[in-house]
Amino acid sequence: MPHRFLTNRLIDLVVVLFGVSLVVFMMIRLIPGDAVAIMLGANTEITPERMAELRARVGLDQPLLVQYWNWITGALRGDLGTSIWTGRPVMSEIAANIWPTFELTLLSVLVGAGLSIPIGAFMATARGKGAEVAVRIGAIAGLTIPSFWLGIVSIFLVAKLLPGVQALGYVPFTEDPLGNLQRMILPVIALSLPMLANLSRLVRSAMLDALSQDYIRTAKAKGASKRRIVYRHALRNALIPFITSVGVSAGYLLGGAIVIEQVFAIPGLGRLVLGAIAERNYPLVQATILVMTFAFVIVNFIVDLLYAVIDPRVSRR
Amino acid sequence: MTFKKIGIALLASTVLTGAALAATLDVAIDSSPAGLDPHLITAFNSVVIVQSNIYEGLTAIDKNLAVVPALAESWEISEDGVSYTFKLHDGVKFHDGSTFDAEDVAASIRRVQAEAIASPLASRVTPITGIEVVDPTTIKLTLDAPFAPILSSLAGIAIVPAEVETNAEGLQQTPIGTGPFKFDEWQPNGFIGLAKNPDYYIEGQPKLDEVRFNFVPEAATRQVGITTGEYDLLPAIDPATALQLQGQPGVTMQETRDIAYTLLGVNASREPFGNAKVREAINYLINRQEIIDGALFGAGVPAGPLSPALVNWAVDPSTFACYTPDVEKAKALLAEAGVTTPLKVTMNVLPRQDTRDIAQVVQQQLAAGGIEVELITQEIGDFVQSWRNSEFDMFVSANGGSPDPDEYFYRTFRGGGSTNVFKYEDAELDAWLDEGRSTIDPAARKAIYDQVQAKLACDGPAAHIAYGTLYTAVADGVSGFEIYPNGRLTSLVNVTVAE
Repeated sequence: MPHRFLTNRLIDLVVVLFGVSLVVFMMIRLIPGDAVAIMLGANTEITPERMAELRARVGLDQPLLVQYWNWITGALRGDLGTSIWTGRPVMSEIAANIWPTFELTLLSVLVGAGLSIPIGAFMATARGKGAEVAVRIGAIAGLTIPSFWLGIVSIFLVAKLLPGVQALGYVPFTEDPLGNLQRMILPVIALSLPMLANLSRLVRSAMLDALSQDYIRTAKAKGASKRRIVYRHALRNALIPFITSVGVSAGYLLGGAIVIEQVFAIPGLGRLVLGAIAERNYPLVQATILVMTFAFVIVNFIVDLLYAVIDPRVSRR
Repeated sequence: MTFKKIGIALLASTVLTGAALAATLDVAIDSSPAGLDPHLITAFNSVVIVQSNIYEGLTAIDKNLAVVPALAESWEISEDGVSYTFKLHDGVKFHDGSTFDAEDVAASIRRVQAEAIASPLASRVTPITGIEVVDPTTIKLTLDAPFAPILSSLAGIAIVPAEVETNAEGLQQTPIGTGPFKFDEWQPNGFIGLAKNPDYYIEGQPKLDEVRFNFVPEAATRQVGITTGEYDLLPAIDPATALQLQGQPGVTMQETRDIAYTLLGVNASREPFGNAKVREAINYLINRQEIIDGALFGAGVPAGPLSPALVNWAVDPSTFACYTPDVEKAKALLAEAGVTTPLKVTMNVLPRQDTRDIAQVVQQQLAAGGIEVELITQEIGDFVQSWRNSEFDMFVSANGGSPDPDEYFYRTFRGGGSTNVFKYEDAELDAWLDEGRSTIDPAARKAIYDQVQAKLACDGPAAHIAYGTLYTAVADGVSGFEIYPNGRLTSLVNVTVAE
């Protein structure tokens, strides 16, 4: 793989992160109400002087540009600031919350992408048959049912039907593997279903497209088995749009994880950022979004690399 | 082979978790607390965790909202009412092992007073001008003038170790108190774990080994969690969730009258709300029972200026003339005040489901008298800012309530009071409020606050709407829990859970 390809992608990464940092920094400050006002709420006895003092303590009395400069230079040194509310380094808060989100999105990608290939292939080869129509209707349902609704309904159902199952919260796999998996099943289903529905439809049409190509006819003429034709010949060519879609969907999964973590009480980055926005906890919002952006960009970077592996023409462009 | 390994791991983990079972109470609250420094926090979720669990004051507030001894086992008040001598409990230890004494009390009060700490509780201790450590178990506080609410105020002042007096950061993360539970672990965004304080000075308390405050933002999730046994206690739940949980197997609901309330406020510095007749007319237009039925699922009572939970103070609201809705009377009052209808005004609304619903009902009710209200639903930060800066015609909001009438009335309705966002001023009321705080005799005080309530009820700048019902859901197997009108989890010290 040429070095220029890698270098260009790395430059993209830096530019995107810088741009996002600026946009996030400005946007959260455009929301009315600062952390101190929210911290004190509408029901306290504090005087304006004391508010000013609190504001100074967390650095909110500085001009915006100075605040940005302090933050970005700190970030370059690896210090993303401290949480306004708890006074802890935001990196430690992020570190404590990153694993549940990572596990949730990773499992969802594996389930969503993994299952979509056989399902999509089935839909392409069994086109028009009763079972295929049923799967197709299921896929449309999967695309349209909001995952938070699915999440809440599934919690209720499990609570009613399987009272012994622990469906809420999070325990690390290393601490309690069984408990971890029990708690992951429902959120992963809720989060991966829209992706599964989307990807299997995509695999289906890409497969249909590939199956009508000349080389498939050649393979058939050579007497290759149906299974071999579908999975060796057609699938490889259907993979490029598939991988693009997986990359993009993985980014959306992070957004979906915000909702799912909220519903299932999972202490992840999504919930962290949601709470931080409500509290105007600027350093935490900025850092969390930066980390999420970084993850999204990295996923896309990997997708680009995969293209180059699957289709060497890509890196030569 | 690999499967075998996983199987062994699964088995081992099940056995281990089984063996490690301790008496843990799982509480579900709706958000992470905003720090744990008892002198800095104001958010309900922070206060609920630290107050009376991790920290204690010299005094405490009991279930009937009366002042009772805590770290001070007794006190004497001088005849002139300005000096209080507290006798402290002997043999009390902080969670870090150090011994509690009068120096810690002195340092804690100074800490709250200090400018550099910027404690929102500072105004509660401003009357204290002299702090004298008599001996390790005796402390004498001198006030600038007799101040009746001081014992109630001191219940909210947590006693911290003297060493942290000037530390403005440390206690936010690792609190050190004398309470029945000590801080153990804070998993950001996940939970806060408290462990039993084995050296607690009251024999046999607490009964639990651990209390875990799980942060669960979704009401539906909390609801399912308590029915599945994931959580043992849901404090301060909303009426809608309470209705759904009522009658569910495995869950008992406890309820009490809330000291928190919803209110409609007006800006007395903006016309025509400076006119007492207009404010009275608004009260005649509001039908509180209709609001409670329409917006609070019937769970509440019409609110006078003080909650009926303050049994020693509250005046029955049915005695206030304006609490009987009368549209004609309201129209006449508006005409007398020279208001031409329709009067177009705006109303800021605190972004909370109950306050939004209330605002909509109020909007309709005021329209009947020719007051056309445009609702402005603001984002919380925006709301707080315009509220603080008195940038509103009217607003609908919710307040926490206090066990002593002075704590609420003085700062809110006294001319120049720190939360007198209404810009309301009334010389007569000011005189009563000054007298109310300096009068020590309870009967004489009661007479003063009766007058204050009667005045505020109909032509004050705040029309108190409703005191809701405070609900706590308790899972089967939990015993000893008692709901407090102020929402505090003071009774956790007596709680046990069945294995």
